[in-house]
Amino acid sequence: MVERIKAELGATLKETPVGEADYRERGYHLFAEVASADLLNVARFFDERGFYLAALICVDYKEYLELVYIFSNHASLCKVKITLKIDPAKPVAPTISTVFDCAYWHEREIREFFGVSFDGHPNMTYLFLHEGIDFYPLRKEKIPVSDEDKKALGAFRPGEGEDTFFVNLGPQHPSTHGVLRVVLKMDGEYIEDAQPVLGYLHRMHEKMAENRSYLQFLPNTGRMDYLGPMAFNLGYVTAVERLCGIPVPDRANYVRVILTELNRLSSHLMWLGAYLADLGALTPFLFVFDDREEINDILEPVTGSRLTYCYFRFGGLYNDVDDAFVAGTRAFIERLRSRFSLYEKLVGGNVIFTNRTRGIGVITKERARKQAVSGPVLRGAGIAMDMRKSEPCAAYGKMDFDVPVGTRGDALDMYQVRIREMENALNIIEQALARLPEGPIMTEKAPRKLKPPKGDLYHTVETPRGELGIYIVSDESDKPYRMKWRVPSFSNLMIFPELAKGNLLADAVAILGSLDLVIPEIDR
Amino acid sequence: MVCLGERGVCLEKEVFPVKFAVVEKVLDLARANSIWPMTFGLACCAIEMMSTAMSRFDLDRFGAGVFRATPRQADLMIVSGTVTKKMAPVLVTLYEQMPSPKWVLAMGNCAISGGPFVFEGQYNVIEGVDLLVPVDVYVPGCPPRPEALLEGFLKLEEKITGKRRFPGPESRW
Repeated sequence: MVERIKAELGATLKETPVGEADYRERGYHLFAEVASADLLNVARFFDERGFYLAALICVDYKEYLELVYIFSNHASLCKVKITLKIDPAKPVAPTISTVFDCAYWHEREIREFFGVSFDGHPNMTYLFLHEGIDFYPLRKEKIPVSDEDKKALGAFRPGEGEDTFFVNLGPQHPSTHGVLRVVLKMDGEYIEDAQPVLGYLHRMHEKMAENRSYLQFLPNTGRMDYLGPMAFNLGYVTAVERLCGIPVPDRANYVRVILTELNRLSSHLMWLGAYLADLGALTPFLFVFDDREEINDILEPVTGSRLTYCYFRFGGLYNDVDDAFVAGTRAFIERLRSRFSLYEKLVGGNVIFTNRTRGIGVITKERARKQAVSGPVLRGAGIAMDMRKSEPCAAYGKMDFDVPVGTRGDALDMYQVRIREMENALNIIEQALARLPEGPIMTEKAPRKLKPPKGDLYHTVETPRGELGIYIVSDESDKPYRMKWRVPSFSNLMIFPELAKGNLLADAVAILGSLDLVIPEIDR
Repeated sequence: MVCLGERGVCLEKEVFPVKFAVVEKVLDLARANSIWPMTFGLACCAIEMMSTAMSRFDLDRFGAGVFRATPRQADLMIVSGTVTKKMAPVLVTLYEQMPSPKWVLAMGNCAISGGPFVFEGQYNVIEGVDLLVPVDVYVPGCPPRPEALLEGFLKLEEKITGKRRFPGPESRW
């Protein structure tokens, strides 16, 4: 696949050389720098070959701004980095949102954080930042927002129409699970248009990453996705280990798998309770919290916290697990297995629930690719893609599990995929416990002060919500030069406007819940 | 005509010995034991707030388990998470929509002071919700444990009634 794409891309680009990168070091196979006139052709090239736009990143190198497009593929492992240099004095680039729909949102984000304007983009208004902001936050130098750009600040005005009215879903709404705001254009009870407005919980994680060392940033990862902090921890730790070439002992790898899967269970349980609560059934909420507390009982003595864990370290773990942990986990597996039949009776076999969710929010494979959704939403749409299988980190490569997929792509499929994933997680934990090796939990080769070699890395892991991509640019200092987080909920939310269109408001809540959003992760 | 005591003195001639409780104090007792918090989850702390309301920690024991989704039915706003500059006007609006008497509980370090998100050059976080609305109880932690939030509720009761219903935590240091 990689050779074929290299040859074909070379033929399309003609003069521009296509380089081959060391995948283990860089996280992508091919790279090429294109001129802005070629960009749209390149986007079409990847679109025709079934690629999706995994991430769109902007990096400020002072002399120039660089846009980084990461294209990836669901069918086989092939990642391509396309870069485009732009002049910081006159930052304009062509939009590719006409080819890849998800670029629409990424380009808006880059516009407000870097001031890059995208030619041909239909709506260049601010998505995240508050109206009082007067500079571009992620630029290395403080560049004031020009008067012309200030018009785009807070310029979001939903268009008026005859017989329609607007409803603000959020930012304070119990079914948005946080402070998400969706502006709905309604025709009676039916939704004509939905526009997410973000940034009510923008906590500047990417800015913080640039002014503290790699280790100091570690606690932030747990606060980005508070329901699945282990997976974010794992992603960050493995990314830095990959960048610096730090080995990890076997035991640590297995413990990482066990804890990440336990955390995945607690995240999915939380989703189950909250989703049913959105649909009006409050009883499951009490049941899942009972199970969640059991998980907390296991994790708390080991990690030292109940929620925003910070347990993994570069090269190993914070402390070792003991026999009580192993026994507790085994007992919990038994307990949760018996609870599944209860959940099946209470939820899965409940006609009110199944009739409510069947056939709404249907995502086709094509739309899933164009919007770059990931995780259970992607698998619910019928594409068997799991980063734990395709790019296994820690000890995932040694685990035996299947990837559940949906057949219809509706909200009910998302539910079934997540329930089967929970069963899978139990199997993975059981396997890892059975094979848990003895030995050290921390490598002796970990340097005290991390100074990764110059270069960049795009590293992905599977979180409970989908593909987490971490793009780190290192300039050989002890702080990251730029760190971009490609978060799963952001992409998953962006498919919501088209799913909601033409649906009832009550169904829109059911669709929003099936996407399993965590707001601080979207806003970062 | 009622006579009190052995001397059989009439009420009209003596100082009336029974004091009526101040109506306000009775009401305070009722308020303190049936606090209705608002469903207002901001960030990570919201999950711990939910845990507190669920079966193991059972906020209903203190009469505070009735979470209301609308500010117009709530007495207490639990600010459970980071308040950003974009969220600030929304939060103030919600506070103003709550009927008096009303209380605010700042849960977690972010709501108290901006927590871990305060650094030089930060551009988006309000460094403490007390810059926006008056705060009655501060519960520190990142996030605070459910027990800490329960203690926060007891502190609020104490503030409302002037008395503490349960013994305080033992000081270990």
